[in-house]
Amino acid sequence: MKNAADIVIIGGGISGVAIGYFLLKYGAKNVVILERDFLGAGATGKCGAGIRQQWGASINCIMTKFSCEFFENAAEELGCGDVDFHQGGYMLLISTEKELEQTKKNIVLQNSLGIESVLLSPQEAGEMVPLLDTSKILAATFHRKDGFLSPFKTTQAFAKAFERLGGTIYKATNVTGIDVTNGRVTAVKTDKGTISTNIVMNAAGGYAQQIAKMVDAKLPLYSERHNILVTEQLERTLSPMLMSFSLNLYMQQAPSGGFIMGRTCANQPRDLRVTADSNFPVEMARTVTNLLPKLGQLRMLRQWAGLYNMSPDKSPVYDEVPETKGFYVAAGYSGHGFMLAPATGQAMAEIILGLSPTLPWDKLGLSRFSSGNLIVEPSVV
Amino acid sequence: MLERSGIPEQAQIDCVFPAEERLEKGPVAVIECFEKIPCNPCAQSCPKSAILPFVDINDRPVIDDELCVGCNACIKKCPGLAIMVVEYSGEKALIKLPHEFKPLPEKGQIVNALNRAGEPVSDAEVVRVIAGKVSVVSIAVDRHLIKTVRGFSFKEKPEIPEKNMGNLELNNTNELDGIVCRCNDLTLGDIRKMISDGYTTIDELKQLARVGMGPCQGRSCIPIILGELSRYLETPIKDLLPTNFRPVVTSVKLSDLAEHDEERTSV
Ligand SMILES: Cc1cc2nc3c(=O)[nH]c(=O)nc-3n(C[C@H](O)[C@H](O)[C@H](O)COP(=O)(O)OP(=O)(O)OC[C@H]3O[C@@H](n4cnc5c(N)ncnc54)[C@H](O)[C@@H]3O)c2cc1C
Repeated sequence: MKNAADIVIIGGGISGVAIGYFLLKYGAKNVVILERDFLGAGATGKCGAGIRQQWGASINCIMTKFSCEFFENAAEELGCGDVDFHQGGYMLLISTEKELEQTKKNIVLQNSLGIESVLLSPQEAGEMVPLLDTSKILAATFHRKDGFLSPFKTTQAFAKAFERLGGTIYKATNVTGIDVTNGRVTAVKTDKGTISTNIVMNAAGGYAQQIAKMVDAKLPLYSERHNILVTEQLERTLSPMLMSFSLNLYMQQAPSGGFIMGRTCANQPRDLRVTADSNFPVEMARTVTNLLPKLGQLRMLRQWAGLYNMSPDKSPVYDEVPETKGFYVAAGYSGHGFMLAPATGQAMAEIILGLSPTLPWDKLGLSRFSSGNLIVEPSVV
Repeated sequence: MLERSGIPEQAQIDCVFPAEERLEKGPVAVIECFEKIPCNPCAQSCPKSAILPFVDINDRPVIDDELCVGCNACIKKCPGLAIMVVEYSGEKALIKLPHEFKPLPEKGQIVNALNRAGEPVSDAEVVRVIAGKVSVVSIAVDRHLIKTVRGFSFKEKPEIPEKNMGNLELNNTNELDGIVCRCNDLTLGDIRKMISDGYTTIDELKQLARVGMGPCQGRSCIPIILGELSRYLETPIKDLLPTNFRPVVTSVKLSDLAEHDEERTSV
């Protein structure tokens, strides 16, 4: 193992590998990624990997649009295999008047930013998704450039590009401590040895607050379990991702034909457990059979869970921790850290390398939680 | 009994065996699949749709004897080697068996016919050998043994080919072509390539190649892959990271789940 590095990234999820790639792309040298298990072992390997640009806050529209355009060209830019971007669109189902009102505002905003989302009547939505019981919705929105990716292939593609640019990845390497001298990080300790460095990038996802404790920083983040399940495989009949805030579900039909679906359940543990919730399949089945009754005939095959890392405004934190020079954090993405990854990489490279900002990350610093300038995003889980 | 000894009882065999009149008409498949497991390659393999479609992946196969023409297709697809084809031929019965070991017997060779307990019951002549990923060896025994014979062994210990790797199918000229994961069609070569590329845990192989996620849920592939990982990492299998087995134990219809009405109990 190397004993020194310019930058050490903790965490080999989509955030860590994307940040690593962008750092090297913009000229950083000697960057190391440390991953406790294997790449994608955390939330990244558990997630739905959906991407939508249909948000209610401009900052999220801008960052997801950046990401979407990156993913469209990822095979070329990363040069390391396909990321399986299935751009079948994303349909948001609307079932309350209040939601409809908000959605109309969102569409105006999205269109003004070059996101070509449209409002659909229930009938139009039903034509696109015949499985849908359209009597359950008031309207829907659709953006054809949204969709979902393979989280595994995307992670590998970033990692390979990172290595090709000279980066080093140590898997099965657990970070156990961080040395700080005179308010500045000096080394990262692992079960495989110590690496001296002046820059540490905390990209540990659901474990980001644990890593922060190693430098005695308290981040306003917590992690919450989210469940997901997959059904048996069926001929492909559903192209777009489906999601509804008011009806509480998201769903996609994976390329293999299985329907992958999740929802937000009450009373989820916040102690980093990712065991399966035995109530989830029942709640999920009720939700989905209410809206897409025909899917009742499908059998559930497996369920699993992962961590959402949550910040107070459900938006990411991209910043250097003020008390500890050289200790950076990128976490708190709630349920959309996968789609943000290219933006995360770009933003953190700009912050760490002192480049002029091309993305509005200045609004995503830690100080917003004390100043009260929170991101107001009406359309987030 | 089957659960303890691994040997089916006569009543179970009678249940899956075609009637005498059907046996007189020509070759027919016999599927000795007695356990409900999530596995369905047989149903999808039949060109005559004689193996009835599964309603549930855990269903046991049901074969329509009248549609079956005894073509051997399903023999090669069953990961459990639970299928054979039987046929009367004059005074003899032909038993067509799946075979995954090296070496293959030769046509005309006299071998021991074995019953389901693996005991020799008579001599048998090898009448045909169809080599493949799973080979099919036809042996001829006396008519009355049609329900008795389920295997064969060599009269003399054959010379073992140099590279013997346990239960992998080795009758291929190139062992790297041997199928490790039948559900997703991955060969030993595919698996070794991924391992040497640095994907050295079952979970990584699961994510990237979907091993263990098909209908067999890892029953056929995971033991072989663990062996490969153990050899590559020079680590005993017991020290390798276990993979997660995920609920549910058996697949359940969403509509049945939706009707479940119990108080919320655990987190
Ligand atoms: C069920 C579910 C569905 C989701 N669906 C979507 C979706 O559709 N779209 C979307 O955009 N997002 C989705 N998300 C959110 C998304 O998965 C996450 O926001 C994103 O993957 C976070 O990536 P990350 O790299 O920051 O964290 P992670 O992927 O969790 O990576 C953190 C890594 O740090 C490692 N680590 C932790 N501690 C240490 C240590 N001490 N030493 C070394 N390494 C360490 C972990 O092993 C882990 O690999 C979903 C999440 C869940 C749980």
